Amino acid sequence: MTEHICTSSCTHGISAESKKDVTEEFDTARRSFIRNAFVGGGAVSLGAMGVSMSPMSYASTGTSSNTVDADAPGPMHYYIPATPETVLWGYFSKIAKPVVEIESGDFVTIETLTHHANDDAERMVKGDPGAESIFHWDAQRKGVDRRGAGPMDAAIGAGGGAGVHICTGPVRIQGAQPGDILEVRIADVTPRPSGNPDFKGKSFGSNAAAWWGFHYGDMLTEPKKREVVTIYEVDARGERNWAKAVYNYRWTPQTDPFGVVHPTIDYPGVPVDHRTISKRDNILRDIRIPIRPHFGTIGVAPAEADIVNSIPPSYTGGNIDNWRIGKGAKLYFPVAVEGAMFSVGDPHASQGDSELCGTAIECSLTGTFQFILHKKADLPGTALAELNYPLLETQDDWVLHGFSYANYLAELGPNAQEDIYSKSSVDKALRDAYRKMRHFLMTTQQLDEDEAISLMSVAVDFGITQVVDGNWGVHAILKKSMFPARGRS
Amino acid sequence: MTDLKRFSASAIPAELRQWAWNDILARLGLSSDATRPDTTHDSGYIALSVSARNSVFVHLTAAPQTLTALASQSAPPSSSTVLVLALLDGTAQVLDADQKVQLRSGDIMLLDPNQPWHLTLQTHFRTMLIKLESSSFLLRLVRTGRQEANRISTQQGIGTLCLNMLQSLTDQLAHLDRNELPALETTLAELLVACLSHKHSDALDDTTDVQLAHLRRVCRSVDSYLDDPELNIEQIAAQEGLSVRYLQKLFKNSGTTFSEYLKSRRIQHCCIDLANPTLAQFSIAQLCYRWGFNDAANFSRTFSQIMGMSPKNYRAAPPQDLQVQLQRGCPQTKPSTRSAYAQPQNIPLDNAIMQQRKPFQEVLDDHARYVLSLKLAPKRLPVMENTPPTQSNTHTPRQYYLPASDKTVHWGYFSNEIKPVLNIRSGDIVTIETLSQHATDDSERMIDGDPGAQSVFHWTRTKKNVDRRGAGPMDASIFGRGAGEGFGVHICTGPIYVTDAEPGDVLEVRILDIQPRPSCNPLYLGKHFGSNAATWWGFQYDDLLTTPKKREVVTLYEVHQHSHPPHAKAIYNFRWTPQTDPYGIEHPTIDYPGVPVDHTSINKQFGILENATIPVRPHFGVMAVAPRESGIVDSIPPSYFGGNMDNWRAGKGTQLFLPVAVPGALFSVGDPHASQGDSELCGTAIECSLTGIFQLVLHKKQNLSGSFMEDLSHPFLETPDEWVLQGMSFSDYQAELGPNAQTQVYKNSSLEAAMRDAFRKARHYLMKEHKLSEDEAISLISVAVDFGITQVVDGNLGVHAIIRKAIFPDYKR
Repeated sequence: MTEHICTSSCTHGISAESKKDVTEEFDTARRSFIRNAFVGGGAVSLGAMGVSMSPMSYASTGTSSNTVDADAPGPMHYYIPATPETVLWGYFSKIAKPVVEIESGDFVTIETLTHHANDDAERMVKGDPGAESIFHWDAQRKGVDRRGAGPMDAAIGAGGGAGVHICTGPVRIQGAQPGDILEVRIADVTPRPSGNPDFKGKSFGSNAAAWWGFHYGDMLTEPKKREVVTIYEVDARGERNWAKAVYNYRWTPQTDPFGVVHPTIDYPGVPVDHRTISKRDNILRDIRIPIRPHFGTIGVAPAEADIVNSIPPSYTGGNIDNWRIGKGAKLYFPVAVEGAMFSVGDPHASQGDSELCGTAIECSLTGTFQFILHKKADLPGTALAELNYPLLETQDDWVLHGFSYANYLAELGPNAQEDIYSKSSVDKALRDAYRKMRHFLMTTQQLDEDEAISLMSVAVDFGITQVVDGNWGVHAILKKSMFPARGRS
Repeated sequence: MTDLKRFSASAIPAELRQWAWNDILARLGLSSDATRPDTTHDSGYIALSVSARNSVFVHLTAAPQTLTALASQSAPPSSSTVLVLALLDGTAQVLDADQKVQLRSGDIMLLDPNQPWHLTLQTHFRTMLIKLESSSFLLRLVRTGRQEANRISTQQGIGTLCLNMLQSLTDQLAHLDRNELPALETTLAELLVACLSHKHSDALDDTTDVQLAHLRRVCRSVDSYLDDPELNIEQIAAQEGLSVRYLQKLFKNSGTTFSEYLKSRRIQHCCIDLANPTLAQFSIAQLCYRWGFNDAANFSRTFSQIMGMSPKNYRAAPPQDLQVQLQRGCPQTKPSTRSAYAQPQNIPLDNAIMQQRKPFQEVLDDHARYVLSLKLAPKRLPVMENTPPTQSNTHTPRQYYLPASDKTVHWGYFSNEIKPVLNIRSGDIVTIETLSQHATDDSERMIDGDPGAQSVFHWTRTKKNVDRRGAGPMDASIFGRGAGEGFGVHICTGPIYVTDAEPGDVLEVRILDIQPRPSCNPLYLGKHFGSNAATWWGFQYDDLLTTPKKREVVTLYEVHQHSHPPHAKAIYNFRWTPQTDPYGIEHPTIDYPGVPVDHTSINKQFGILENATIPVRPHFGVMAVAPRESGIVDSIPPSYFGGNMDNWRAGKGTQLFLPVAVPGALFSVGDPHASQGDSELCGTAIECSLTGIFQLVLHKKQNLSGSFMEDLSHPFLETPDEWVLQGMSFSDYQAELGPNAQTQVYKNSSLEAAMRDAFRKARHYLMKEHKLSEDEAISLISVAVDFGITQVVDGNLGVHAIIRKAIFPDYKR
């Protein structure tokens, strides 16, 4: 393992020339944001928002009454619709202008869009103003030009597709400083209904068995190197807790509106021309996939670089792809930069542990989150002491996330954002999960090392989170009920 | 990351298998004849690596088939490619227009891929095949000679070096990346050039390892045909692909002859049978027929000649040390002291000859000891004939109780040669006691007062009731830990013979109930205890924070089975200190199972894990049918036959499906756990003796068509809500890794490989049982199947795939 400490001269894949571009780009975005001023603080402008931009009037559903912080005059509830101005496509950034600034205890309802919606624009984009504005792409203009952390002049498209997830945010938390912990409670998650009247009351998701999947090149039937997209239907009214497949098709080379041909799924948001594909119906018949709505990508901005590929997860969270990050879950992130700069995206209707073929049921969702800041000084003696990775708390469990590289940006040095894709292994991720769990048990439950190890062997379950996100993940699940005398500190 | 790609034919649905097989072989420029419908490659394994220079390295293990070069069929000849074949096991023949070259194991052959030849692998084989690029000089040499000249003698000198190199290359293939291979290619090409310019030498008199290996194989072969009265040297020679003359030479080197050896083996087996009281009902004639004598008078004469007494007298008063051998486990005295095969008598031999003969004699000696230790004594079938299945009450299952005692367990190994302890029929219900091999960590709580446990663990200066613990040599000649060397640690109760079970059938093991074994010590009467050892084979061992860095810690748990909810609490822990066993051998680490821990030598720490209440998940870590391979198999790495899967989901209310590999299935169970987490991180679970109630149901091969059980080649677990596919780094490590599999599996495992295996098994299951297309299966796996880490401590690492039944609301099996 290389010891690497980031300095101000570190670029992490962004060259000196492109740095200028990046800064300029953010300035442009910032100017346009100020002009549009989509997001305001407080309930008043929130109402206006919901009418003008949101396809559903979800904003008023009452999470705001669930106040937690007693001392404040009452938490505010913000609403962030997904628009070209409120999303970062394919990257995290500490220098991006926040879309809203909130205080600890506030609630924010955030719309997130799946970057696979253009696999079937008819069902997932059409008639939905937010989605249409983000996915807009004609010969002249793209709704969101930068997609990924790569160079703006990449042949394949701006940003190079080095990072694919549409992340809504960043949300800036007042007073958050490096060393603090940001708690994010997921109060509610709902699927985004189709805006197309033909599909009223339904939501849709797409699952792409893509070239970065674990199965790719290990196929039984020809052609061995194929990508297959399966469209799933989810009940938007919440009456049915399962999804079903609608049809699938094999990816064919797609020409984007700028004229670039995409022989594989190499750039996010390329509209699929349905005349070029051949759809197979009646697939996965009589099969019900229990839904597990969750956010695949959720996290705060890392400190190591200005703009970071959204694919590999790291110590600040990001593309964790754990289906347990759903309604009722609480996540704890180590704050790495001032204001924390939280963003969320990559919504999934369901996923299995490992996300084997490269994607989940990628389905746009809207979530309501509450943010609570834990100041560094208050951490010792709590379950959050010394936390330096994303920690998940569900109703019954603590879930610790191990990665092949706990902080790949720091460990792998200047070329981290490329190298991570060739250096991951499940064995390394298990090693990391083991060390984190040992640390957690020793720090928060005051066990000695021998006690921690025995407990881990007899009562902690290790599972494979994902093997498709560059920095592979193994999680460790600890049942909270094992420590009845303590509960949560 | 390794660049090795691995394929197992059994992971591919049968209808696609042939095509897929050829698809892989095409990378070597080869095609197989297996379009023939009668050939099935259900036992084929390929490990493939491609070097930076595009040379292709393939380790291939498979059933008989014929390979031909694709280049000779299609037009453009590649200019500078040579095919190197090292036959590691099996026999083969290279056939071209005008000549035929016979190959046997250990041979290396160079082939020109542009010539029309056929390579016929005549037996199950294991080979290293290398498509060597950019070797035009070598190719020229290959083209100048006749085919026969391109076979390299590996008996000595540079040929031996070449073979050794190819063998280590095979073993290390997983650890070589594409950029390291070109250097090896260069060396290999140079060695091969040197070999071809080398005169062939017939100096077979040298005592080479190859000869000894051949002798070992021949011994095994002879033993498996002892009951055939017609057995002769020609038959064995043909079987092994060796010439009769060579075989004669091998035995001559050992100071005996083939027929002498055969006779002595037969007599030795007869001795064992004659001394065995359980065979008293058989006449001497019946017993001698079992071992290939077809004339009682002749037998009697031969016996007297060798043993110095008549069979009748021998039976009446068998020598004492043979009685010892008849106990379960292994004799303490070297059986070779009474070895029955002919010692060269009264012929003065000079030292040089003795010296040369020694390694050969050792092979014969070792073999005899090995066979004895397996206690071949009463062969299975004649005993079974005593209890012919009655047809009358087939619909009512019979109930059996199988206690754990030194007579009903095998410790640390599986083998299809272990005598069954019980003979049942499909549907019968058996209550089986199992013991934890860690009970001696606290004998007071887990053994004292318990006659069953005492009989298994009994070990004093003079007597060890179960001597063999593990698959290692009985004389502990490798590490000196004890008989069996602890290569395998689990106390397995069984095996149980299931009437009518045949290879190809599937045995369904239903676990109806599981109860912990109560302590019999009056001080702890009725309580339940288990031990968790954080050991040197655990994932944590080299990765500890606090000192001493390399320590083993045993934690004792009490299992509160009858409280609500059932849970376990830690009582105390102690650091392992060097323990001296009753035979005086010191065990600095936990290197041998069942070593009694002297509690005056350890320092107990109470008050640990005070706040932790651990939910229990009683299950059996080991459930297995006997492996098809002959010999004796380490109980630690799980494999196609089940074994040490260590999945806590195999608890009450579940069904485990195992592919039957030998007649009678021979089911054994052990390694009971009160609880375990996915990964079994520190090496063990809460190891706690349990008693299970099992129903064994046999599914006959002919009724399985179209179901997932057809051609089932791995264990399959069904719980009330889920199907669990158990992936392993090597789905059948013995077949895949060859003769050193039991060593190699510990070195070459990875979670990636296990994950890949679990994925392929899940895909196969969904396609076969639920009739999904490959694309449907892959999408479903990604969105709804959960992969978890079963264990990282059993050599052959495990990853399981969990498919929820709720996904298929209309499904009925």
